[in-house]
This record gives sequence, structure tokens and C-alpha cells, in this order.
Amino acid sequence: MTTILDARGIVVRFGGLTAVDQVDLDVSEGALVGIIGPNGAGKTTFFNALSGVVPATAGRLIIDGADLTGKPAHRFAWAGIARTFQTPRVFAGMSVAESVRFGLEFAGRRRRHQRAALGDVPAILGFLGLTDLAERPTRSITPARQRLLEMGMALATRPRVLLLDEVAAGLTELEIESMARLIRRCRDELGLAVVWIEHAVAVLLRAVDQVMVLHQGRKLAEGEPRAVARNPAVIEAYLGTAAGPATGAP
Amino acid sequence: MRGRGQVAGAAGIAVAGALPFLLEDFLVSLALSCLMYVALASSWAMFSGATRYVSLGTSAFFGLGAYVSAWGLSVLPWPLVVAGGAGVAVAFAALAGAAILHLRGTYFAVLTFGLSELVRHAITYGEKQYAGTVGRVLTVVPSNTTVYYTVLAIAAAAVATTVLVRQSRFGLALNGIGDDEQRAQTLGVPTRWVKVAGFATSAAFAGAVGAAMAVRWTYIDPAAVFNPFIGLQTVLIAIVGGAMSLGGPIIGAIVFSLLAEFLRLQFPYVYLVLLGVVLIVAVLYLPHGLAGLWGGRARAPERRATTS
Repeated sequence: MTTILDARGIVVRFGGLTAVDQVDLDVSEGALVGIIGPNGAGKTTFFNALSGVVPATAGRLIIDGADLTGKPAHRFAWAGIARTFQTPRVFAGMSVAESVRFGLEFAGRRRRHQRAALGDVPAILGFLGLTDLAERPTRSITPARQRLLEMGMALATRPRVLLLDEVAAGLTELEIESMARLIRRCRDELGLAVVWIEHAVAVLLRAVDQVMVLHQGRKLAEGEPRAVARNPAVIEAYLGTAAGPATGAP
Repeated sequence: MRGRGQVAGAAGIAVAGALPFLLEDFLVSLALSCLMYVALASSWAMFSGATRYVSLGTSAFFGLGAYVSAWGLSVLPWPLVVAGGAGVAVAFAALAGAAILHLRGTYFAVLTFGLSELVRHAITYGEKQYAGTVGRVLTVVPSNTTVYYTVLAIAAAAVATTVLVRQSRFGLALNGIGDDEQRAQTLGVPTRWVKVAGFATSAAFAGAVGAAMAVRWTYIDPAAVFNPFIGLQTVLIAIVGGAMSLGGPIIGAIVFSLLAEFLRLQFPYVYLVLLGVVLIVAVLYLPHGLAGLWGGRARAPERRATTS
């Protein structure tokens, strides 16, 4: 499998704070990778670096063979990196269909059009099950559907790698299950590599092929989900040591 | 819809074009001031209404155009003078925009305000050093009719450009920047380039209007042509009219010019106070501008340039 996204030794520092410290990530075609970690582990910051939203302080970002280190975010989109944001950032002044068209008109237009499902606005809305909402203003749909719409906007850029930032946060149990199915479909039917950050760990571990654990900005563990879940260092990072938070009086 | 718009545009141009034959001089000059603000407010809204980068830099572009006119009038044919005003304003806006368009909201507004002051002082200094004078007397000027039709053409071009931009990918990019700039960039919009291009395009019309209007005064000096009031009025007209809609700045310019003139004649001593009150009431009670009063409001009313 060829590598599409190759992040090497990524460091992101804000003043004295090192949010991401020497993290490597190798995403090959068709991979479904999960990134988990406690709050403040640097997951979102790492995504910001991978999508060019925040410049990496050190390290290299090679996308599809091209070195995009230090390039602005739109170059990442042109190269095939698409992302969602933790709080859905849909265009408040547009309809659902217009928001999806936006991605097609910019990064999407520059990219080879491989799958019929990413061909036009109706196809993308159909893939996500949002067809009925096409003409609705983005603000009038439920937050769960705004999440789906955000994924649609990202898919409209016709990416090779889809970065999903906590797309299941705040969803009901049932919605989380269907979100996990949708994420697998992005990989299976659209042929995308997907990197999925989530705080709700169980559902992610069931869905992904590989998982990376971030803790305090560093990579704590990496590998097959079941092995990672049994890793004592990971358990400790999530739950604290036996004498940790459990005994601490509130 | 599109056909109706073209008919309305043609009718508007025809009516405005007939006015010099129908009205007395005073009313024609009032119509000229309407057209000037149509051009300024429409071109302002094209960039600032869509992106929400509220610019007070119109005075700078207007003044630069006026000075191009003052310098070039005796050596260049009239169309080139006007085009020169536009060109200098575009070049300046592109340079300044590249330097300050990474700042948003109040910071951007304040800096664009500072821009006009900067240019005003630079020109004052330059004129003193090299020309030995601060003001300039414009002797050979085109007729009032020529000026009127020139400004009419600029206003029509500003509105037509706004229509074209709104229908284009460029316009979509500007809207995306106004909604969520970072999101737009992650979807592939080269935001920096788009902003500079939009800012410079809108400056072209202010520069051209400045060049054309300069000859209405026989004497110009930096204090008059870089008057910050021009920039502020442009913003107010666009916002009161409805900065997100195509018709808003046009309606705003007409209502504002007529109202200002009426109040000035009826209440010469308190007219600015009354004008201020009218503007405050309009901003408070017409959240979508005058254009929002009848059905065909902006595509997305909630996107109006709110604060910043």
C-alpha cells in the first residue's frame, strides 16, 4: 500500500507550551486510523498541523510525495487532505446544497474526479442521506446533521485523506453507530484513507484498523486496537493510577 | 429573474441618463451625488459586505483618484485620467491589502482608516517638498455634463461588476471568507489572494469616482479629498441600505443623498444631528437594511455585516 500522508516528527509549540511533540503518522491508501487520547493530549492540534491550519514548528509533512511543510491550508486541500472541525463549521449564510457546492468549486475542481459518489452535489448529499435537506439553510438543521454536512463539505473537495475531528461527540448511541458505519463507507465505497479522532473510545476501537494514542502531546502507543486497549500505559493515561483520581475527594 | 434585473438596470441607467435634460442644475448635481454614492457603496459592499472586512479605506482610494486627476488633467485625455485614478487606487489597495488583510474586525477597520490618514499626510508632504504648494487649482476641466455621464458610467460599472462577482466562483469565495475564513481555506480557497483581489477591485471604483469628482471642485487639497467622512458615509450607506444585497447600497445611496439634502435645506443648523438620528434608527430597526423592507431581501439575511 502506498503512503499518502507521511507526517514525520511533527512538533507544534505555542510559546512555551509544546502541544504536539515529535509525532509521526503514516497513512496509506485505504487505511482507517483512529487517534485517541485524553483531553488536552494534542489530538486537535495534531490535526491542525496535518491540514495546514496551524504551521508545524518542526517536522515534515509529505502528501502524495509532495512536501507541503509550511504551506497554507488551501494547498493541503488541493493536495487531497480534507478535514472536519470539532464544532461543526458550516457556512451560516448558505443552504445545505450551496455549502457542499463550495468544496466542489474550490479544491474539488482541482482534483481528479474518481468516484461517482463525489461527482456532484446531489451525489454527495445522497451518500450522506441529506438529500431532503438540500435547500434548507445550514443553520436550521440539527447539530447531528450539521456534522454530516461538514463531512459532505469535506468530501466535496474530493480528497484522498479525510481527517475527522470528534464527529461522534454529543451524538446519541444510535447516531454514533450510524456515524461509525458512515466512516467505514467513506473508506470502503469512496476509497479514502480516514483518520478519525475521538474521545468516545469504545466505538472508535471497534471501527478502526489501527489506533494511535496521544498523551500530553506525545505518541504513547500505536497498533492494532485490541492490543492498544490492553496496553498498561494507555490504561493508566486514561484512568490514572490506582491511587489516582479514584481516591481524590471531589 | 436575471432578465428582470437587466431590465431594471437598463431602466435605471436610462432614467439617470435623461436627468440632465429634464432637471435644473441643482437637481442634476444632487443626482450626481447620488450616483457617486451608488458607485462607492456598491463597490464597497461587493468586498466588505461579502467578506465582512469592514473597510474605512474608501477615502484613501477616492483621494488618490482625485490627485491623479489633479496631476494628469492637463496632460492626459479625460478617459485616461479616470482610468489612471482607478489604476493607482488598485495598485495601492493591492499593496496595502497584502500588508493588512490578515487582520480582522476592528483592527482591519482602524488600519484602513489609518491608511487614508497616511496617504493624506504623504501627499501633503510630497506636494510641499516638490510642488511647493499644498492645494492645486484645476483650471482646464471637462463640462459638468461630461462629469455627470462619467460618474453614471462608473456607477453602472460598479453595479454590473458586483452582479458578475456575485455570480462567480470569486464571489462564492468572498462569501465563504465572510462566513468562516478558515473553513473556506480548508476547502481550497486561496484566501489571501482572494481578499487582496477583492479589496483591489472594490478600490478601482472609488479611485475612478475620486478622479471624476475632483474636477467638480476648482481647488483641491488633501484635507478635502482625503476627508474621512467619505469613507464613513460609504459604510453607513451600504449598511443602512443592506450590504448583503445588490439593491441595498443603491437604495441606500439614493435615500441618503436625498435625505441629507432635504435635511440640510430644511434644518440647516441641526441637519447632521438629524441625519445621525435617522442612521441610528435605521441600524437599530432595519437589521437587513432598507433592502430588507420588501421581500427580495438578501440571499442570507443573517449574514449581514453585523459589527466588527
